[in-house]
Order: sequence, then C-alpha cells, then structure tokens
Amino acid sequence: MTILFDNFIEVASIILFAIGFTTLLVHNNLIKKIIGLNIMDTSIFLYFISIGYIDGAHAPIFTEGVTNYVNPVPSGLMLTGIVVAVSITAFALALIIRLHSIYGTLELDEIMKIREDGI
Amino acid sequence: MNIIGSTPLLLILLLLLSSFTLPFLKNPIKFSLPVLGALTILSWIHGLLFIGGEEYTIQAGHFEAPFGIMLRVTAVEIAIGLLFMTITTLVIWFSASQFHREVGKSQQKTFLILVHLLVASLLGIVYTQDLFNGYVFIEVSTLAACGIIVVKNKADNIKAAVKYLILSSLGSGLILMGIAYLYALTGYLDMTFIHEALIPIASEKSRMILISMVLFMTGAGIKSALFPLHIWLPDAHTAAPGASSALLSGLVIKAPAIYFLKICVLVYGYEMINQTAFLQLVLLFSGTGMIVGSLFARSQKTLKRMIAYSSVAQMGYIFFGIGLGTPAGMAIAVYHMIGHGVTKATLFLLASTFIDKLGKKDSASLKGVGREMPFEMAIFSLCGFSMVGIPILPGFISKWNLALATIETGQVWLLAIILVSSVLNAAYYFPITINGFFSEEDGIKPNNNPVAKVPLGILTVLLVMIGLLSGPILSLIEKALI
Repeated sequence: MTILFDNFIEVASIILFAIGFTTLLVHNNLIKKIIGLNIMDTSIFLYFISIGYIDGAHAPIFTEGVTNYVNPVPSGLMLTGIVVAVSITAFALALIIRLHSIYGTLELDEIMKIREDGI
Repeated sequence: MNIIGSTPLLLILLLLLSSFTLPFLKNPIKFSLPVLGALTILSWIHGLLFIGGEEYTIQAGHFEAPFGIMLRVTAVEIAIGLLFMTITTLVIWFSASQFHREVGKSQQKTFLILVHLLVASLLGIVYTQDLFNGYVFIEVSTLAACGIIVVKNKADNIKAAVKYLILSSLGSGLILMGIAYLYALTGYLDMTFIHEALIPIASEKSRMILISMVLFMTGAGIKSALFPLHIWLPDAHTAAPGASSALLSGLVIKAPAIYFLKICVLVYGYEMINQTAFLQLVLLFSGTGMIVGSLFARSQKTLKRMIAYSSVAQMGYIFFGIGLGTPAGMAIAVYHMIGHGVTKATLFLLASTFIDKLGKKDSASLKGVGREMPFEMAIFSLCGFSMVGIPILPGFISKWNLALATIETGQVWLLAIILVSSVLNAAYYFPITINGFFSEEDGIKPNNNPVAKVPLGILTVLLVMIGLLSGPILSLIEKALI
C-alpha cells in the first residue's frame, strides 16, 4: 500500500492510461474514442514528465548559485509528443466530420448498419 | 564525413524539402519523379559502395550520442532503405499514367506531397538509432499513410482511414509507454546506450523490462498488422487507390516491424530476449497469423481484399523470423521484408490495373484475362509463385531459410505452420493464374487504357534478382545483425 502512495504519480498515470484505453476500445461513439485517445496520451505525458521531475529542484535555466536542476529532456520530448497528439486529433476530427456528413451519425455500429443496408 | 557516407541523412532531408516544394508547382509529377529517381540512384550508389564496409553512425545534430540523435548505417538499414526508395519510385512512375483515372487529376498533387513525406518518415524509422525519434517518425508516417488512403474521396476510404488512424494511435501510445518505461529505467533514449545501461539491471528489473517488451510488441504489432491486431488492414488496403495500396502494403507496414526488430537486437540484445517468455508470445501470434491470414485470404471474393489478407499472413512470416530470436531468424525477417515488399507492391499495382481495365473488382472476373493481357498476367503469376514458394523466387528462399533457422532453434514442430501456410498460399494464388490463362470462358473485353510496362518489368527483374542473389544478401544482413 505504501508503494502505491509513494509512487502516486505513476499510479495515477497508469489508472488514466487504463481509462483512456478502455474508452478508446469500448465506446462506439467516434468523438468519445478520440477523447479516450487524448486521455491515454496525456497519461503518458504525465508519466514521462514525472520521471524527470526532482522535488525542490529549479527550472533548467542557468542561474548563479543554483546547482540542482530538473531534467529538461522529458519535458522537451513531451512537447513533441503533445504536438503529435494534437495533429493526430485534428486529422481524426476532420475525418470524423466527413463521416458525419456522409452517414449523419457518429456511432460506429449505426454506420456499420447503414453500410450493410446500403449494399 | 564524405557526402556519399551521409546519404541517409541527405535522403530524409531532401525528401522532406521536396515535399514542401511540391505545393507550389504546376505540374508536380514532372518534379517528383526526377527527384525520386535521382535519390534512388544516390541511395544505390551509397549501397553498392558500402558492401563489405564497416557499419557507422551519422550525427544528425550538434550533439554526440546520448544527447543528440544518431543515424545508424549497417547492411540492414541500407537494404531496407534501398527497398523503400526503389519501390516508391517505381510505384510513382507506374501510377503517373494511371492515378488520375482512379482518383482525379486534382488529387495527384496532394498524393505526391504525402508520398514524399511518407518515404522520408519511413527512411527515418529505418535509419534512426534514437527511440523517441523513431516514435515521431512513426507518427508522421501514420498521418501520411492515412492521407494517401483518403485522397480517394469515398465513404469507404474515410471509414477505413478513421479505423486505421484510431488503432494506429493506440499502437503508438503503447510504443510511447514502452519508451517511457525504458527511459525511467536507464535515462537514455539512444538504443546502444540503453542496452549498456540495461545489462547490469537486467535480472533485478526483469519485470519492468518484460512489460516494456510487450508494450513494444503490441504497439508495433498493431501498426504492422500482426495477426490479432490486423483488423484495420484489409479495409484500408482495399479501399485505397492502387498506388497507395502498393505503398501501404509494400512499405508502410514494414517500417514498424524493422523498428521492432532493431529494438529487439540493439536495445535488449539476443541474450535478454531469449531469457523471457516474450519470444514465445511473438511466435504464437505470428504462427496463427500465417495460417489464419491465409485462410481469410482464401475466402475473399474481391481481388484486392485477398491480396490484403495475404499481407497479414506474410507479416506473420516476418514476425516469426523475429520470434526465433537468433541472428539467422532476424536476417530472414529482413530478407522477407525485402522480398515481400517487391512482390506485394507489384501485385497491388497489377490488381489495380486489372480493375481499371475490366471495371470489375472480384477475382472471378479475371477469367481469360491472360489471353488479353499476357504480360501483366505473367508477372502476376510470377508474384503468386513467389508467395507460394516456387524455388529461386524470394518467397521460397525465405521459407526454406526460415525452416532451417527453426530447426536450428530446436522447435521442429513449428515447421508444420510454415508448410500449412505455404499450401494455403497455393490454394488462393494458383486459381487466379489457372483461370487467367486456361479458362475457356471469354472474359470481358478490356478497354485500352495505357499501362506503364517498364516499371513493372523492372519490378519483375528485381524480384528475380533478389531470389538469385539471396546467398550474398542474406550473409551480409546476418553479419550486420550479430
């Protein structure tokens, strides 16, 4: 139990990851899938940044008399990760808008039904 | 460093630059094709000069390895890089005369921009030695790959692309989580540095290492259509226009597999992957994929869908080679990527030609088509023979060596999977050839749209050459993987 409390950031990020993962897989609504995807990505960002964080250390900007800095590499990586996640989300939303204009619904099962009836 | 030595970096940069130049041009194909051709020739010169040389790294920035990004150049990377450049150039050459009939002239520019971006990112995945850099390139390639599916503005394409995009993002999320685990354990992102930092803590942190392995396998497996995670592939590869299908099936699904292979070899090393049950998992998935993929392919009515399911089975072979966990197995995985890349690209180009000529999508309509289009049907049969495993052709070489490597590891019962899968391959490729050449029924008269025969001819020559030169190719690759 103490292990869980000591590593609460890791635990929180794994729980968030699981929430995002199940949302992505279980829900039929495409927008909810995208929300799940974003929760999943954010949990990874949280985990990654927590690796580089040192309690009580300073921001990684050189100042006189400061010796302990937070590791800047994970934050830098996650900036890239956020850009990637945003572009994927934008592209997915654009495609979903097109799907909605064709089928008039965002539910995957309804889309499948329309397609089966159509053929 | 001399200019030839830094070719991999040049290729990636020039492809990215040319992709951003294309939107401003009036006639993009006249710019794109010479650029791709010149870069292909450059990469061939680089590849031929490299033969027998020592592996080296290229520094892609101002910092040395643990902080900066390094590109790694060995026979494996060069072989796959050559495959990617050559196939792309030939596919674009072939599709120059055909693409606008299928999709429309206005979309050709978008298609070419995306293809340049796609190839640049694929080469990035192949050459990079930095895990996170590989992840970013994988994401770029996913976006570009979805783009070349939706250039054809149909409901089918958009649905397939949404499915592909969502599953693929799931895969890259898992890969990123794997990278996070490794970074937490070692503090490095460079593959060789992670390996050195992992060795002392391998037994102590074995559970975390196993979790990261499984994350990488699932992530790369989704993107490379490893069997139970393949569900996006048939839709995407069937709906996409012919040239896109050829690129998607020939190249795009290979890149995450080679990334996974590099992680297995460079990050974990043979010793570490053989100590865990992880390889058994890979073998289980790929083995079922080899059989079930072929069974699915056999039951398909549409030609393109059949070829797409055949890709699932063939990706099984590649992961099977990785799953053996020996240098010989990995070398066959790489060799099969090359052989399958050429074969599957040709098959998809031919399938789209038949559909274009006959106006029908099902494989039954190919009856008697061999008499109308003997050249195309002959190449189709040759590719089919390679898939089934007729000697000299690459498909046979990889099956033969895969069998030998399997016996070497002592898991003889796995041979049954290879044999069953080959028989099943024969069951769906031979009927098309037989129908095409020997059917008495008169097929539909094809229209006389022009077909670019030269790129098809070059692809066929390449296919045969890969089979004939399999000995030296395999030994070069295996030397680089030890």
